[in-house]
Amino acid sequence: MEYRLDRNVHSLLDPRTKLLLLLTSSIFVVGNAGEKQMYVFYWILVFLPVVLLFAEKEWKAGLIAIVIYIGSYYAQMALQHDLTAVESALALMLYIITKILPTVILARYIVKTTKVSEFLTAMNRLRFSDKFTIPISVIFRFFPTVVEESRAINDAMRMRGIEMGAKKASEAVEYRMIPLIASCSIIGEELSAAAMTRGLDVGKNRSCIWIIKFRIPDYLVITLCFACFVWWIIGRFFV
Amino acid sequence: MICFDNVSFKYSKEQECLKNINLTVNDGDVILVCGPSGCGKSTLVRCVNGLIPHFYQGELTGKVTVNGTDISQTTLRKISRHVGTVFQNPRSQFFNVDTTSELAFGCENFGLSPDDIEQRINKTVNRHDLESLMGRSIFKLSGGEKQKIACASIAVEPVDVIILDEPSANLDYKGICELQKMLKAWIEERKTILIAEHRISYLLPFITGSVLMNSGEIVKEYSAEEFRSLSEEELHNLGLRAEMVQDPAEINDCTGEDSDKKDKLILTDMKYSYQKEPPVFDIPKMEIPEGEIVGIVGANGAGKSTFLRCLCGMERKCKADPKVKYESWNNKARRRKIYMVMQDVNHQLFTDSVLEEVMISQESENKEEALKILESLDLKEFAGKHPLALSGGQKQRVAVASAIASGRDIILFDEPTSGLDYYHMNQVADILKELKQMGKTVIIVTHDVELIKNACTYIIRFDEYSRS
Repeated sequence: MEYRLDRNVHSLLDPRTKLLLLLTSSIFVVGNAGEKQMYVFYWILVFLPVVLLFAEKEWKAGLIAIVIYIGSYYAQMALQHDLTAVESALALMLYIITKILPTVILARYIVKTTKVSEFLTAMNRLRFSDKFTIPISVIFRFFPTVVEESRAINDAMRMRGIEMGAKKASEAVEYRMIPLIASCSIIGEELSAAAMTRGLDVGKNRSCIWIIKFRIPDYLVITLCFACFVWWIIGRFFV
Repeated sequence: MICFDNVSFKYSKEQECLKNINLTVNDGDVILVCGPSGCGKSTLVRCVNGLIPHFYQGELTGKVTVNGTDISQTTLRKISRHVGTVFQNPRSQFFNVDTTSELAFGCENFGLSPDDIEQRINKTVNRHDLESLMGRSIFKLSGGEKQKIACASIAVEPVDVIILDEPSANLDYKGICELQKMLKAWIEERKTILIAEHRISYLLPFITGSVLMNSGEIVKEYSAEEFRSLSEEELHNLGLRAEMVQDPAEINDCTGEDSDKKDKLILTDMKYSYQKEPPVFDIPKMEIPEGEIVGIVGANGAGKSTFLRCLCGMERKCKADPKVKYESWNNKARRRKIYMVMQDVNHQLFTDSVLEEVMISQESENKEEALKILESLDLKEFAGKHPLALSGGQKQRVAVASAIASGRDIILFDEPTSGLDYYHMNQVADILKELKQMGKTVIIVTHDVELIKNACTYIIRFDEYSRS
């Protein structure tokens, strides 16, 4: 069988839609803008990231997210009156989880499903300067690197008997950061050198093999995001 | 054509890394730039791909031209249309996360049309049989597979000069064979190729000439015939690795003389698998003699490194209780009794001085003892230095010093000599022998045939336990 490149490989949403959704989610879920008035939109925005995970066939991660969310939501509801200091600290923590978890899941989804080249092209179409987008695009590459490096370092620490609850527990965090920063900065430098020998530069036209366009799910999500903003503005200024 | 006209270079303040280099490489030549570590061969090739002076700053005099263009007077982007580079470390040369995008990356940057890029990718993938590697995350690839993608992404680009900077450093036998195939294809396409390397045997059939460097200078230029006729001893004297490309599975046993009488570490029913896949390896019974330098050899992807991780108790899922002198060790016990020197030693150095690094491994801190250990490894003068400021070989010795300080009797090494030249490989072999003298059991996973011949006193073939 001869290999043929399929240029139409894409995730459910376009990178531009993903960023718009992230912005909307930050304002209305984390920021809680509009409060009661945004009730319906709020809940849609809370559960949409899980739908996206399911669309990527990440069943397990999606279910875990739902359980954590519902668990902390009800626990936090139960802890409302006559709290001790410890209980109120716990309630606050749970409240923060319910506020940021959906957006964190969304951000993770974006990092995992967006190709660097897709992102650069989509941002370019929005007229963002590549002085700004190239450094940001490195994030997609760097998240998995940091995870991989910290795993290796963690192993080394455990083998040398430096772990939580064992000797030198107080230094354990510092000891983890030093090699992590050192190896990430080495990788970062080598990475920039390699990218530059392959012609990456600012202010130049670059092409993209992936077909980037808005599809039906994009129109649905974009409509949702605009509806959020319109509904919020109406509620704030006209009612 | 690549032309060096009286080129000298130094990184800021340091001594000169290149001195008066004069060299001409004609179109279609395949030139090997060799020499011991630190001889300046990597610096020399960086002058051709433009990283010097455009990325690594320093003092450059003289002139380097590629096809008549003065490298220092143009931009990296323009150079990159003619010169492609494969780097040593496959971990850090990819800008993309998925392999397909990585293949397209260079051409996208040049602004070639998507249809054109698509055709180039199809051609490269079919020619080099890469279909199974397409559309995958680079974080899920083995070292050999990554290097194959790195070569392929240069093959997609319309470049006519290809630079390889120690491309075999992290490759095993099978990976090197793949690299040879790639070189053959490039030679058929009449590319000009410049390779900086100290493992040379796998390149001998391809080269049209060779340049030997030492402390920043070109010591001698060889024709291909002259270079191929150098004996093993002559190569070693030049600091080069002479090992033939050889399947480690074909190495003859070198069992220690009286290993039968020694106590043995007995592993029974040890296996490991990723999630629901069939086991990577399955060991009904393996006996490892104590007090020997044991080399574990086997094909690429046989699970040798995973085996080491299981052996020192790092894989929670691996439930084996090896018996040592009738005493059974679970994962946690093994983490206390076995020490592993990792392939990337940067991961295991984390204090702010060499001395502290050693003392932290001791059961109870003892400065005199620690200094004694440092002295035995020629590290005493570095006691106050930051471990991350040392050279690669010194870092590795610090890791060994910590292993000794931990007082553990079994020390594992994962590929201790990858990327080392002949001198440094010997140094590692000497350290291994010293550990044996101290009565330690040393277990090494390696594809370095010269190291096995030089140091190992017992060989275990891993293939029979492996799935593949």
